[in-house]
Amino acid sequence: MSNSINRRSFLKTTSAMGAASLLPAGQALAASGEISVWKFGGTPQEVEVWAQRNDAFSAANGDVSLNYSYFNGQIRRQKILAGFQTNRLADVVIAFGQDIPEFAGFGMIQPLDDIAGDRMAGWKDRIVPEVFESGMHDGKLYALPTYVDMASFLAINLDALEEAGFDRPPETWEEVREYAKAMTKPDRPGIAFPATTAPVDINIFEGIAYANGGRIFDEESGKVTLNDPGVVDALQFYVNLIEDGSTPAATSLTETFFRDTAQLFGQGRSAMWIGLSWLNTPWGVNEGIRWTGVPMPRPTAPSGSFEPVNAIMDGTAMLMVSSRSSNPEAAIEYLDFWSQNEQLEIWGGQPEIARIPAGKAAWDNAELKEAWPNWVNAYDAGTLFEGGAPMPRFIGVSAIESALGTAIQQAVLGQKTPQAALDEATAAAQGQIDLIRG
Amino acid sequence: MLKSDRILAYALILPVVAAVLAFVVGPTYNVATLSLTQVVMGMERGFGTLSNFEALAADPVFGLVLKNTAIWILGGTFLCVTVGLGVGTFLAIDSRMTGWLRALILLPWVLPDVVTAMAWKWMLHGQVGIIGQTLQSWGFSEGAISFMGDPNLVMWTLVVVLIWRKMPLVALILCAAIRSVPDDQIEAARMDGANAFERFRFVTLPNIAFSLTAVTVISMIWITAEFALPWIMTGGGPANASQIMATYIYQQSFEFFNWGVASAMSVINLVMLASIVALYLYINRRSWSSEGSK
Repeated sequence: MSNSINRRSFLKTTSAMGAASLLPAGQALAASGEISVWKFGGTPQEVEVWAQRNDAFSAANGDVSLNYSYFNGQIRRQKILAGFQTNRLADVVIAFGQDIPEFAGFGMIQPLDDIAGDRMAGWKDRIVPEVFESGMHDGKLYALPTYVDMASFLAINLDALEEAGFDRPPETWEEVREYAKAMTKPDRPGIAFPATTAPVDINIFEGIAYANGGRIFDEESGKVTLNDPGVVDALQFYVNLIEDGSTPAATSLTETFFRDTAQLFGQGRSAMWIGLSWLNTPWGVNEGIRWTGVPMPRPTAPSGSFEPVNAIMDGTAMLMVSSRSSNPEAAIEYLDFWSQNEQLEIWGGQPEIARIPAGKAAWDNAELKEAWPNWVNAYDAGTLFEGGAPMPRFIGVSAIESALGTAIQQAVLGQKTPQAALDEATAAAQGQIDLIRG
Repeated sequence: MLKSDRILAYALILPVVAAVLAFVVGPTYNVATLSLTQVVMGMERGFGTLSNFEALAADPVFGLVLKNTAIWILGGTFLCVTVGLGVGTFLAIDSRMTGWLRALILLPWVLPDVVTAMAWKWMLHGQVGIIGQTLQSWGFSEGAISFMGDPNLVMWTLVVVLIWRKMPLVALILCAAIRSVPDDQIEAARMDGANAFERFRFVTLPNIAFSLTAVTVISMIWITAEFALPWIMTGGGPANASQIMATYIYQQSFEFFNWGVASAMSVINLVMLASIVALYLYINRRSWSSEGSK
């Protein structure tokens, strides 16, 4: 093998270099070179479509070489942390909105305001303002959202509902207990809710607690508020459902996380289940099972110390640019690509209907209206995001949510009363927060 | 030894020494220093503090973690070696069936950790698990049993799955050791009137003492390092009932970004493991020397 350069390749190289040197200076700003993208989590359909649209990006940006990798959502924190520590973090990270404060606080991601330039105007123009806000932190945009999930929602088996003699879904906590009792059969509990320590299971509970005026942390005082009456009473609501005999065994609730709970509902093994806004759409239900999803009913008299919210929301495919990106121009080009209507349309029903779309144009889609008429009507009426709030997000959120998860399990298993479990969780989480924040 | 030989010897061991320094001593030193460093919001703030160890002492979960880790490591190792010895003794018998079994028993080793964990998780599930349903249909239980959701059952259930996973190799190693025991010694014991138990206790066991010690220490290290199985099956739950050192270190470092405390736990884990192994080796060596002096 010879490494010598022949005349033809020498001429090619030198002429290419000469031509490049004669190009106008402005061309140097065009996106080119290599970018790496790490995406974490997503429904099976979303993962498939994301990869397909990446091909469209590559076709439209011939000078950008895209190095895309997909990872399970559960490992994102350690993967991103390890990448950051070893200087191998991808240029673009597609992670969860709840991660933003910690990633920004640790200097892993950079504000997009500083690097996006005039692209920001287009993003604001195409994205629903309330969803756009979900990418903000400390007054700056750190992540471009593509959709959001909301907590909490209730899936209802329509046959079970009618069998029990009801003609509409429950509308209050009291009605949920009444319906669940009436819909319970010896081989099929009336309601199920996931109570493992998986983050989504905790988000589902947080949606109920926040609707009751509870919060898990007070940013102003720096105090953990897990034992606020709004959270305690929400946990008491879980315990009441178990004591009513309307749920699977408590020990089964603590071993069954959200996806398994959805699948058991889809097999007709429970009449209702409490989940996030997508409920069973990513996995479907068995043939012959008719079901619907409604916002989780709220208490008639919220007992928390804070303003009750209608729902809490967070995006799980939010595009962030690493602070150590060696090619921020190409990274912004990639984000801009995903801010276009053609991409945001994915969550407008073509083909994904499990998420609440970020793109304004996606809301005009007929398929979305057919799948989720209530969402579209509420969006058109301007009430979909009314009274909504972001899911808990601050530095140390995982430590508090972990303590909350333990408290939920202790109360569900009957080891402690909700008040005692949450008092203990508050003390433990405060210690962790103080340690992390210094 | 010639000078050139000495240089050659050093040159030959240099790669191993470099690898040990880079991959064992280096990271251990790094973890040890991090355990004595206060880490706030990912930034190192001040070396020479015991605040991470103090935080652990004040953590109400840490006591439970130590108890669960003791069940996991000591219970797991004891049962793994005991069951492995029983199975290994059986496999050492020459027959067509044991010949097949010696190959089949390695199946749990072939499966990846994630597959094993998911399969067992569903088999043990309270609502749809085949094991609970079978026990219920046989009348051993009135209702469904949630092995992974019941705080009283979860730790020992994990140990059972661990034994299923780790025991086969222990059994095969001990089987090989038992088969290498000289026949004439066993025959002599038999002629002296020793029964089967006495032959095993006074002939076989002393002959396989070295293998038994090695396999016990290796099992203890394997089990201490095992993370995927308990994390995937329970995530440390319910209510921290299956939280062990490996899962809690992971949680502190990668979920809470609390690297100082995680490092402090790693140091405690290392010291505990080294102490147990040292004690075990000390007792065994004394026992070997006394056997030899008889």
